[in-house]
Amino acid sequence: MLEAVRLHKRYHQGELDVVAVDHFTYAFPPGLTAIVGPSGSGKTTLLNLLAGFDVPTEGEVRLDGRVFSSLSEDERAEVRLRHMGFVFQQWNLIPTLTALENVAFPLMLAGQSLRERTERAQALLAAVGLEKRAKHLPSRLSGGEQQRVAIARALALDPPVLFADEPTGNLDSASGARVVELLLAQAQGGRTVILVTHDLELSCKAERVLHLRDGRLTRIETPSAGLTEAAQSL
Amino acid sequence: MALVCLRKTLILLGVEVLALVYRNLRARPVRSLLTLLGIVVSTASMVLFLSFGEGLRRALGAELSRVGPAILVVPEGAEAFSPGYPELRPETLEAIRRVAPSLGIVQVIPTAVFARGGLDPSSSFVFQGLPAGVTPKDLYPNLGLAQGSMDPGASGAVVGGGVAQRNNLGLGKTLRLSPQVSLRVVGVLERSGGLTDSFIYVPLSAIHAVLNTANYSSILVAIEPDRRAEEVARALEERVPGIDAQTTGDVMRFAERAVRISDLVRFGISLVALVVGGLLVANTVMMSVYERIREFGLMRALGAKRRFIFGLVLLEALVLGLVGGLLGLLLGQAASGLVNWFTLREVGLALSAVTLRLASFALLVAVVLGLVAGFLPARTASRIRVVEALGRV
Repeated sequence: MLEAVRLHKRYHQGELDVVAVDHFTYAFPPGLTAIVGPSGSGKTTLLNLLAGFDVPTEGEVRLDGRVFSSLSEDERAEVRLRHMGFVFQQWNLIPTLTALENVAFPLMLAGQSLRERTERAQALLAAVGLEKRAKHLPSRLSGGEQQRVAIARALALDPPVLFADEPTGNLDSASGARVVELLLAQAQGGRTVILVTHDLELSCKAERVLHLRDGRLTRIETPSAGLTEAAQSL
Repeated sequence: MALVCLRKTLILLGVEVLALVYRNLRARPVRSLLTLLGIVVSTASMVLFLSFGEGLRRALGAELSRVGPAILVVPEGAEAFSPGYPELRPETLEAIRRVAPSLGIVQVIPTAVFARGGLDPSSSFVFQGLPAGVTPKDLYPNLGLAQGSMDPGASGAVVGGGVAQRNNLGLGKTLRLSPQVSLRVVGVLERSGGLTDSFIYVPLSAIHAVLNTANYSSILVAIEPDRRAEEVARALEERVPGIDAQTTGDVMRFAERAVRISDLVRFGISLVALVVGGLLVANTVMMSVYERIREFGLMRALGAKRRFIFGLVLLEALVLGLVGGLLGLLLGQAASGLVNWFTLREVGLALSAVTLRLASFALLVAVVLGLVAGFLPARTASRIRVVEALGRV
């Protein structure tokens, strides 16, 4: 389980101290959790901290009980490789690698043989309905197809945690729906899916919605149960 | 353990990595080609510069292998084969002849060299005077006769194949060494492809008359087959004062020292081109790193470690260095062939040689160039922060 404990991130902008994430505490259970909030509310910084792209000023991120945020850069990269998958809004794929090679990339980093990773990547592309686009470079794929390749790649090493940052932000509604469907399937399969979005319609599909404002967790909604809790009580 | 490491390395050098390197270089074809051209030209210039040293070594080795007598006696302190004014006095010749039986010396051939130079190689002549009864074949056993006689006799000249062709010296032509001394061509040698092609063999008395001396330039000494040339040479130096007795090995060692010094000078000059080539690679790879910051950030986000990114960028520079080195080697070889075509035509000597040793050195330099040039960009790429690279600040 991924846990954030009093996670705090402060930046210096000239003489100003900017608090991007303010003592955020939450344990992410399996299933789909959406993080929502207006622009500048700290969603992206929070995801950076949770994924180990950045280190907190205070507090810590734990993965299965082990403190993850204080590891070295390379150790955090190793944890990301084995335990986390990522789908970003843009710049998702390596432009000079084909769809198949993009999906196989983390498998190569993990040391799998060429045959193993090719078979696995082909199966994953088939699972997202892109087996016929395996040899295409990202520039030959539509936005929706690129996101599906990114989902296939995120699942390559079967990680327990999946991060999706505005995964449908640049997509038309049909492509977006397909991407959401794939993410929901992962959440229903028992994976922890953390979705950062400002699309309220999309966030309604989540089991839990965390509302951020000025870096603080202000509200937790459970749309399916219709319950709202006060974040301050956590 | 070693096998596990090897397997890991091979996997990390996977098709995806090779595809990344290849497609990235291909994605910017003009820039990659220009960079490659920089390395090709710098490597080719280095190969050509250094090929002169190799050519000299090879030519000298070939010349020496053609020399029949094992020891060359020259005045003390003189360079081997120096065509200077004859300094060995007749008493020295007598002294050598006196000690000859005790040292296993079977033949003593005094010669005198007279060079008549000109700015143009085709108007330069080297005359080698031989004593009566000695033919050029006694000095250079591999020589073959094309026309006439091998023996210049008392007033004849035997002309090397190269000089005969270049100056149209056929049988019966007259050679004027000085206003008083003229000789008639009595023999023309086959071309041998070496220095001897440019020699004209004349009677020793003619050289003595031209230079108005009874001295000799060098004395060639042949020894019994079971004697060691080095030992005889050292004994000869001890017993006959004022001489240097040089064996083929001595000459080679002396020449090697001289050629090595000139190698260093030529390498120094080509280093300028190499540095320029290296800077081109560094510039290209650095620009490529800056353009692909998001890509490297994505790789790091996906779990790539710093050393993976470092290796990837370094590999790109290495590929540029290696491919540029190989093409540069081919271009250098072609240029060396062109130089040889020219020098063979003009002076009958192949001056340039691209040996295996030189080719390996050139490739090694190109690879090291790639690695050194790629180091800084690779370090920069590996230190990119994920949040900044992905624009997630």
